[in-house]
This record gives sequence, structure tokens and C-alpha cells, in this order.
Amino acid sequence: MRMIHTDPELKYLESRCHHYALEFGMILPEVRFYILDGMEFASLLEKRVFPVSPVNIWEGKRMVTKKHRIKSGQESSLYYEVVQTGNPSYAYLNNTNSAMTQATVMAHVYGHCEFSEINVMNDSNDDRTEFVMWLVKKVNTSRAQMGEKSFANYWNAAESALSMIAPNSQFNLKGSVDTDAGGGPRMSSPVGEKKEEANLLTPFSATMDSLLRPPKQQDPFEQEMKTKRRQESLSRRGYRLRAPCQDVFGFLESFAPTTRAEKNVLKYLYVVHKPSDFVGRTQIMNEGWAMYWEKKIMTELFKEKACKGIIDHAKSTSGVCYPRPYYQRNPYHLGLHMWQYLEEAFSKGKISLDYTEETDQPTKESWDKGGVDPIERMRHLVRTITDYEFLRRFLTPELVHRFHLNRIHQREFVRLGISKREVIKEDSNWVWLDPKPIKKEMLARYTHFYRPRIYVIDADFEDGGLLLYHRDDGRRLRSNWIQPTLKNLNMIWKAGITLVSRNTLYQYSGGRQREKRIRELAFETVVERMQQGKKPLIFE
Amino acid sequence: MTDVFTSIGDRISSEESEGAFNEFIDEQISDLIDGIITDGDLNEFGERGTNIIVEMDDITPPYFTYGDDGQGGGEGGSGPGSGGGKMSFSLPFDKVMELIAGRLDLPDLTKEGKGKIKEVSYEFKTFGQMGVILDKKRTFRRALKTSVAMGLYDPNLGKYDLQIRRRDKRFKLPERVEKPKFRAVVYYMGDISYSTYGERLELEKRIVKFIHSWLDYNYGHNNVEHRFFVHDMEAHEVMPEDFYRVSNVGGTRAAIVFDLVQQITVNEYDTSTTNFYAFYFGDGELFADDAKQIVDILEVMRPIFNRIGIVEVQPSRSSHLNSKISARFKNDRIIRIDELKHNKETINVIKSLFGKVR
Repeated sequence: MRMIHTDPELKYLESRCHHYALEFGMILPEVRFYILDGMEFASLLEKRVFPVSPVNIWEGKRMVTKKHRIKSGQESSLYYEVVQTGNPSYAYLNNTNSAMTQATVMAHVYGHCEFSEINVMNDSNDDRTEFVMWLVKKVNTSRAQMGEKSFANYWNAAESALSMIAPNSQFNLKGSVDTDAGGGPRMSSPVGEKKEEANLLTPFSATMDSLLRPPKQQDPFEQEMKTKRRQESLSRRGYRLRAPCQDVFGFLESFAPTTRAEKNVLKYLYVVHKPSDFVGRTQIMNEGWAMYWEKKIMTELFKEKACKGIIDHAKSTSGVCYPRPYYQRNPYHLGLHMWQYLEEAFSKGKISLDYTEETDQPTKESWDKGGVDPIERMRHLVRTITDYEFLRRFLTPELVHRFHLNRIHQREFVRLGISKREVIKEDSNWVWLDPKPIKKEMLARYTHFYRPRIYVIDADFEDGGLLLYHRDDGRRLRSNWIQPTLKNLNMIWKAGITLVSRNTLYQYSGGRQREKRIRELAFETVVERMQQGKKPLIFE
Repeated sequence: MTDVFTSIGDRISSEESEGAFNEFIDEQISDLIDGIITDGDLNEFGERGTNIIVEMDDITPPYFTYGDDGQGGGEGGSGPGSGGGKMSFSLPFDKVMELIAGRLDLPDLTKEGKGKIKEVSYEFKTFGQMGVILDKKRTFRRALKTSVAMGLYDPNLGKYDLQIRRRDKRFKLPERVEKPKFRAVVYYMGDISYSTYGERLELEKRIVKFIHSWLDYNYGHNNVEHRFFVHDMEAHEVMPEDFYRVSNVGGTRAAIVFDLVQQITVNEYDTSTTNFYAFYFGDGELFADDAKQIVDILEVMRPIFNRIGIVEVQPSRSSHLNSKISARFKNDRIIRIDELKHNKETINVIKSLFGKVR
């Protein structure tokens, strides 16, 4: 591992990339580049793009497997770009790449860094890498304090909760838990059908109506009791669940009874895995943004002949941005083309009510009522929305077709058993499906990310136990992993752990496993009961 | 700009985690050793220098995921769980034998003949000014130093001459290295008059294969001679592949095979430089004074042999060879007896043949 200034050619390219990034008005943190060899790269990836990690067998296993795959030629040790965003950001270059590829990587990295800085989810934070390095030191001390065996057991137990990190969920810690340090914003009530009520007076007068129909008051005694219970609960434990909490790991990290050493382990795992949630929710915009700026900066570098190999660059970019069907979405391809489409659309004033309402096709096709700075409008989108909204708002059936998201290879079409009725076009190699339902299917991903949605719904279930709730997505949980997972969570919570999934209650408590049939509990009922300050699960 | 990574060293590395994983796997494989010996396919055991593939359940931490309704392995717990898949590890033969030795607490075999036969090799560890094989790297380094000192080589002044003087030359000097070489002869003796087929044959094969591998591991593959003998009323030496094939129904005399082995040992080998091992497998049903004669022959063999093992494979009520021998050689360091009734006893038999005297 060495710093970029040890290589004058790369240092020069970095300064040129940085120059153009600033010239384009990019908002950048400090970016530090390092040069690594292939194995260091592989290792860095297994450490979740941090230079150090505590010793653990899972990283060892992945690394042993990866080395075997690299040695046997099943995997390449060349990685395109690896960056840990934050301020400062740390980006890593592979020492085997050509100068042109290194410049491409640097330009791409600047795109990611800007996205991280300005995105709506506030991903970037100060000294992220340094903080993790400090945490690793703490965890190493913890290992000595806990002893190897206890440490390994606790770490392994915590691994079981890693799939339940959701810091950006609607039901995250801030939205679901009141603490004695002051609660966050309250969950809004579920949106339901508003009942139309007859006007009391004709002609209608809102003032008279509200005077004649005052808001229903809750029984003052009950309201008082509810406040009392809430305050008692807060004062006793320091927190109170007011809504289901999907960030289960975050909840355990904050509120599980732990020793200081155990806390360090949970903290480390939470901090290094937390950014995955942001990546999952913004991948298309983020990779597209990086590709967009990579293209812009590289064009300038080729113009000034700072580096050679424009043909190789074009080949490599077309490989990275190869269109894939919607279910295998390629975020580089989709993201880049979406941003390019938006740039054109903003500059011609096509993202406007006038354009949408225009009915004359020739007028629409020749529409060019510019006037807005497209880049600023695009940055505004980065600042305000995530992938879900990005696709919902801008991905039209025409774009689905234009970007080949509905194009499937003939073999794949047969394998998937898709009905011929959905086909709108085909040739000897490809089949094009009807683009209209595709957007909906792509958006469906963002409700669950193909992962079970698990929530903490009661932290005092059956005398201090933790009650988890599996929100039904029509698929069952892997049954033989439920109890082992509960056992591991029990090690962290140090009291009974119960999971409600459909009509079954799985419990691990006091070293015993239990399963019980119950009446199915709707998620909306859980939310409602919790908002009313009631227990979400009541046995009849 | 300061380098914040200075504190972590020159490299980003996962070696410690890999080490922890490898240690964990060694422990797991060590736990599998019993199963490998009793139920595994020992024929898969290669020879020294080859690798053995060990397959074990994959380890994955259990978590809530969409399921396949109950397929795959189920253990999770606070340790690593099972993902239902398999992991394969390629282990060197010596590593497996090392793990077996550790697991079964088998001591190293006492080797004799040290100092009489030696393996001679030459290693180039030292360097001198005279010789045949020039060490180019050292020579170049010395020549460069001299040239710099003499002002012949100075890139700043555009001088690039490099003179290799005789005194700069360094040659690799061979050093004679003698390592003691041990030689061993192993005799496998089988009774072909008893019904050696089916389970009985498998039990015998299993234990013979292990002895073969264990002695190869201890002495080195090329240093062990494995000889196979069978007997009914007569004794013959056979090819290894025929050891399990030939069979006969009728009377049996085991003493003659011990006598044959004893004669071969004395007449064909230098007993002072060779390590001898003999293992007998039979059902233990012998006629008349056969057992007594065997005991007498064992008396003669005992001072020459490193180890003699007598294993009654699935003995019957009338088997009495072991009882006769144990009356004379109870808890003997050289002569070990045991009986093998079932697969699960393989490990105990190995322990009693090669372990410490209980």
C-alpha cells in the first residue's frame, strides 16, 4: 500500500481529474488515493472497504475462498474502483491497472464522493475511516477482556443480526423509539380512507362546522394514565417503543444489556455495515452519478491528451454499462442513461407541466424551451430523493424500452416460462416484453429489498423478552434457521427472544425452544396498538 | 499530507483472520478424524506428497432469510451454523496424519538404525571466492559497490561502467548434509481360511490401510517395504492386491506364517539397521497347540521387532489366540493384541496397536 504521490504519473492525473471536478462545480470532500496490489484489494473488500478489521473467522473464510478462486482463475483480482466515502474519503487504485484506467477510476470516485456529500440520506460523515480504525482498536481490546472463546461466540451471535440493519427505514430508531434523551419525530398515523361527513349547515361554513362538531376528546383519565405509563417506562429503562423498529441491530446496539466490551463489538459491526442500507437505497442514482461524471471528466482529459487510450476507455465503459433486463438491473447502465436523459430533458424544459400536457406530438418532439441549468436540477434531485422516487418519477415505459430493460434473451425467456402475451417484439436472439408493468415490478423491490422485514415490536414481552415481528411478504422464512437465529439473538439480548411469523410464534428462552400457533397479527394492528400505548401481542 | 495508515503497517492484510479460520477448520477436521477413520473411505488416502479432500458442512451464521422450508443442515447456535452446503478442503497427506496422531494421541514410532544408513544431500548455504557455481546476484552487488567506490559508476556524472573484478566474484559452495535414513519392513499376515468377505473383509482392509499410511507417514513412503502373507495350512507371500482375494475353507495353522515371517526377517534383512513391524489378522480359531507355538515364535521375534500386532477380526466363542498370547505378553510394549468386532472399534484398535501401553 502506498500513497498516490509516490507515483508522479498518477499524481498528475489525479490533479487533472480534481481540476475538472472543481471546474464542473462538484461539491467534494477531501479525497485520498492509495495504490494497492491485487491481494490487498481483495482483503480491503472483505474488510468492507476499511483498512483494518478485528480478527474474525468469517472474514478469514471469505478471504480463503476468494484466494482460492483467484488462484484457480474463477475470479479476477482486478477491481474497478473501491472507495470509502466520508470526509475525508479514501479511494484505492489497483497497481496493475493502466494509467487511463486509473484516471477513469479517479473520475468515477469523485462522482461517488459528491453523491455521498449531497445526497438526501446524509451518508457522508467526518472521519468515518478513522473512526472505524479507532473502533477496531477498541474491539481488539475487548477481545482480550472477553477471552477468545467468549469473544468469538458473541461476534458469531451478532452476525445473525446483521441482516436486520435498517437505519434509513421509515421505522428506524429515530422514528420508533422514545428515549429519555428526547424522542424523535412521531410516526404519523396510518393513512386511511377519510370518511365523508355531511355538512351540518347549508351553505357550508367551516367555522360553524368545527364549532358544532368539536374534535373527539379522549377520556382525560385514560390520557393521563397513558402519559404516566410512558413516563414510567422511560424512566425505568431509558427508552420506549412507540412504533415497530425495523433497525433491529441498531436497537440491540443501543439498548441490549451489554458489557463495555460487548458494546464495542456491536458498535463496530453496526458502523461498518450501516452504509450498505444507503447503498441499497441509492445504487442506481449513485452509480449513475459516478458514471456521468466519469464520462464528463474523462472527455476533458482525452481532449487535453492527459492520458491515452480513448478506444480502450470506450470499450471498458460499454462493458460496464451493458444493458441487463430489469430483474438483473445494472445500476451503472440504468443510472448513467437516466441522468443523461434527465440532463437533456431539463435543458429542453421537458420536465414541466406544459410539456406533459402538450397533446400535439410534433410539438412535443421538437420541444426545446430551455432556461434551467440541468446540472443544478440534477443535483437538486440527489439532494431530495432516493432510487424509489427517482424511478417512480422519471422511468416511463418509453425509457424502459429505450434502455432495453424489457429485453430478455430467448433462452432466458423460455427458462423463465414467460407468457407470449407479454411479448411486444422479438428477433432470433432477443424478446422484448411489454414495458408497462416493468416499472411497478422494479419499484416493488424497494419495499423489502428481497429480504424479510423484521421489526422489534415489544422490548418487554413476557418479562423483559424481545418480541420480533416478521411482516408477511408472501414468502415463508427458512424454518430451520429461525431457532438458531433466535438463540444467537438471545445471547445478545440476554432474555427470551420471540418471533411472530404468520400464525406461528417461535420462542427461544432459558435454553429452550418453543413453537406455538397463534392467530395471525396484521402489521397495521401492531402499529395501531403501539401508537395507543398497548401491547402489540395479546394472548386470548 | 500525513498518512493515517502508517499505524497499520505496509499492507492491508486478512492473514490473521485467515489464520483464525484455518485454526477453526483444523479443530473441525480434527473432530472429523474419528469419522474419517471409522466410516470414511480410507482407500482415498493418498500417498505421501498427495492431497486428501476432506468435505464438511459449510459454516454460515444463521439469520432470518426466505426459506426452502426446512432443507439443509440445521445447527446454528452461538457457534457457526450450517448453511446446508458443503466445504471442501484439500489437505496434504502429512497434515492429515499429523491431525490423526494428535487426535488419537499416537506417539512417534521409535526408529532404530540411526547412524548406520544416511541420506546424503548437498545444500548451497555458504559462499566463497573460489568455486564452480557463480552466485550472480552477490557478485553483481559486490561489483556495483566496488565500481561506485572507485568512481566508475556514477549516474549523476553519466558514468555507467561496471567492472567485475576477480575478488568480487562469489561462488556457491556445496555443503554435505547427512540425514539419518530409517528403513522399515511391515509384514501383514492374514488368515485365509476364515470367512474373509463382507464386513469382516472391510474391517480388515480398513485397519491394514491405516497401518500402511501411518508407517509411510512416520518413515517416508520410499523407506517402507510392505509385504503381505496369507496362510491356511500353509503360508505364502502374496501380492498386495491378492491379500484380500485369496480364500480357502478348511483347517488352519497360524504358527507357520509367524515362522515364515521370522525366517524372512533374519535371512533377508540386516536386523540391526531395519525396523520391523508385523500385524496378524484372523478369527483366532486355531487348532491344538498352534497358539502355544505362536507364543514361542513371538518370544524369538520380540527382540527384533519394533511392533507386533495381533487382531482378532470378529472373533467367535472358540477364538483363543489372543487369550493365549495375553497370558504371556500382557501389557507388552512390543506385542499388542486386540479384537475388532465392529467398525466403531477401529479407532480403539489403532490406539492399542500404536498408542502408549495402558
